[in-house]
Amino acid sequence: MARLLLIEDDDETAVEVVGELTHRGYAVERAATGPAGMALARAETYDVLIVDRLLPEIDGLTIIETLRHERKRTPVLVLSALGALDDRVRGLRAGGDDYLAKPFALVELIARIEALLRRPAVGRETRLRVGPLELDLIERTVTRSGRKIDLLPREFRLLEYMMRRPDQMVTRAMLFEDVWNYRFMPDSNLVDVHMGKLRHKIDAPGEEPIIQNVRGAGFILRANV
Amino acid sequence: MFRRLRLTSFRWAVAIACTFFVCTALLFGFVYWQSSIYMTEHFDSVGVKRAEVIASMRRGEWVDAVEQRVSEDPGHQFSAGLFTPGGHRIAGNIESLPPHIAARDGAQDATVTRIDPDGRHTQSVRAVVRRLRGGEWLILGRNNQESEEIAEIIGRALALGLLPALGLAALTGAFLSAGAKQRIEELTQLAGQIAAGDLHRRLPIIERDHPYDKLSAIINRMLDHMELLVGQLANVGNDIAHDLRTPLTRVRTTLERARENAQTAEELRDAADRAIDGLDKSLAIVTALLRIAAIEHGQRTVGFGNVDLGRIVAEAAELYSPMAEDRHIRLRVASGGAAAVTGDRDLLFEAAANLIDNAIKFTPDNGQVDVAVSHVGDHTVLRVSDTGPGISDTDREVVTRRFYRADKSRRTPGAGLGLSLVAAIVKLHGFRLVISSGPGCVIEIICPD
Repeated sequence: MARLLLIEDDDETAVEVVGELTHRGYAVERAATGPAGMALARAETYDVLIVDRLLPEIDGLTIIETLRHERKRTPVLVLSALGALDDRVRGLRAGGDDYLAKPFALVELIARIEALLRRPAVGRETRLRVGPLELDLIERTVTRSGRKIDLLPREFRLLEYMMRRPDQMVTRAMLFEDVWNYRFMPDSNLVDVHMGKLRHKIDAPGEEPIIQNVRGAGFILRANV
Repeated sequence: MFRRLRLTSFRWAVAIACTFFVCTALLFGFVYWQSSIYMTEHFDSVGVKRAEVIASMRRGEWVDAVEQRVSEDPGHQFSAGLFTPGGHRIAGNIESLPPHIAARDGAQDATVTRIDPDGRHTQSVRAVVRRLRGGEWLILGRNNQESEEIAEIIGRALALGLLPALGLAALTGAFLSAGAKQRIEELTQLAGQIAAGDLHRRLPIIERDHPYDKLSAIINRMLDHMELLVGQLANVGNDIAHDLRTPLTRVRTTLERARENAQTAEELRDAADRAIDGLDKSLAIVTALLRIAAIEHGQRTVGFGNVDLGRIVAEAAELYSPMAEDRHIRLRVASGGAAAVTGDRDLLFEAAANLIDNAIKFTPDNGQVDVAVSHVGDHTVLRVSDTGPGISDTDREVVTRRFYRADKSRRTPGAGLGLSLVAAIVKLHGFRLVISSGPGCVIEIICPD
C-alpha cells in the first residue's frame, strides 16, 4: 500500500482529497502547515508527496527544494492556484514531477498520483509489447497480433505513451501535456477525436477494443483484452 | 478642496484685474507719448513754414512781418527776432541772439529772453532759426510751456480715465473668476452625481473651444466608454448565467429522471456519467472565464522567451486536423520557415488553437481554412482565414467580448469565449489582433519584432 503525504492548509480540499485517496486504498497523512509538512517529509518515507504551492510559513516550493537538496527523490505533485502560471513550477515539472492547477477534478489527481507511483522506467528497450500490441521505436512500426498498422507520427506517440502505462488511467490533460507538450486544455472532444482515430486503426472490425474510454475521466490501455 | 478653490479664484480675480490695469496704463501712456510727439511736430512745421514765408519776402517787408508776428500774440506764446549778421537786434521782441545757435532746417530747443511791455521774460522755446539773404538772422520761437500744458491736460484726462478703468478691471476680474468658480462648482456637483452611480449624466458643453468645455468633452467620452463597459459587464453577467444554466438544468433533469426511473446500477451510473459531463461543461466555462481574467490582469512577462511561432501554429493546426477531416474541411498550413517571436509558448499555442478552432467551427462542411505565418515588413503575422460566413462590420467590434456569438441561436458549439481569450493573450504579448472580412473571416495576430 502506497504511503502519501498531503501538505495542504485548506481544510476543505484536504478532507476531500484525503477521503478520496483513503477510499482508493492509499495510506494518507496530512500536514496543514509548511513546517509540519517539512518535518514529516524529512522524517518519514513516502511514495508520493502532494504539496500545495502556497502554504503558511514555508511555501511549497521551498519544501521541495530543501528535500531535493537533501537528496530525497520522492516524487512530488504540486497543487497550485489557478492562473498562477509560474516559471518555477514549470521548471519543477521539467525536473520530472507533476503539477496540477486548482480547482481540479479528483480523477485527475488520482490519475496523476498513479502516474507518479508507476513512473515508467526510462526505457532502453526499443520494442514495447502490451497484449497483442507491439511497437518498434526504431523502425517506427506497430503491429497488432502480427497485423501491421500505419500510424501518423502523432498517433504513434499517443500509442507509445499509452503502452508505457498499461492498465493505468490516463486523463486527457495528461495526454495533452505529455504527448502534445503544451499546457492547455482544449475541448475534451479534441483529444477524443485523436484517440478515436488511433483506436479505429488499432482495432480491426470484430477485435476487442484495447484502449477503453473511461467516462468523465480519460483512457486506459488494457494489457489483457 | 473648497478653500483652495476659493483662494485660487481670488488670485484669478487679482491677476485679471492687474493685467487689465497694466494694459490700460500702457495704452494711455502710448496715447500720451504719441500726442506729445504729434504736437511738437505740428508746431515745428508751422514755425518752419512761417519762417520760409518771411524769408521769401522782400527785404523791406521783413521788419513789418516780424513786428506783426509779435503784435498778433496776446498770450505771449510767440517770440520773434530779426538780427544783423553781427547779432544786433533789428526788430522783434527777442533781446539778443541766443548763444550757441545755428541756422538749420527744422526746429531746435533754445532759451530766449523776451522784451514785453511789462518787462523781460526768459522762456524755453522751440525755435526756428534761418539766415536771410543778407546774412541776417531770423528767429521764430514758440513757447514750450504751451505744449507742456496741453500735454499735462491730456495726461490728467488720461489719469482720470485710469481710475474708472481700475475699478472696471477689478469688477471684470471678479466676474470672470466667479464665472470660472461657478463652472467648476457645477462640474464638481455633476461629477459627484456621476460618482454616486448616475452614469447617464454628462457634463454640459457650452462653447466647444473653451478649455473647460474641452475638458468636459474628454470626461464625457470617458463616461461613454465607462457606461458601455458597465453595460457589457451586466450583459456578461446575464450571459454567464444563461450559459451556465443550460447545462446545469440538463444535469438536474438527468439526475432526477435517473432517480425515478433507473432500474439497474448500470443505468444509474450512466446517468451519473452524463451528469458529470454536463458539470464539466459548466466548469469549463467558469475555468475559461477565470483564465481570461488571470491573463488580462497578469503582467507576467518573465516567462517569455524566444519561441518559434511557425512551429507552434503548425502543431496547433495538426491538433485540429482530425476535426477538420471529419467535416471534410481542407486545413492548409503555409509557413515561411521559422518565425521567432518573444512570448509564452503555451499561451501562443492556446491563441492559435482558438483561432483555428473558431475557423473550423464557423466553416461549413467541405470548406477551407488557411493558416499562415509570414513576415510582413518587420512584423511576424499569423493569419487564419476561412470560407465561413465572415464577420459583419457591426460584429467586428464586439466579437472579442466575452460570450459573444455571431450565431444568436447558439447552435454552434463552444462557450463563445475563444476570441476573448485570444484577445487577452494578444494584449498580454503587446501584439495586435486584426479582424477583417475577406470572403469568409480573416483574423490576424500581428507581432512586431
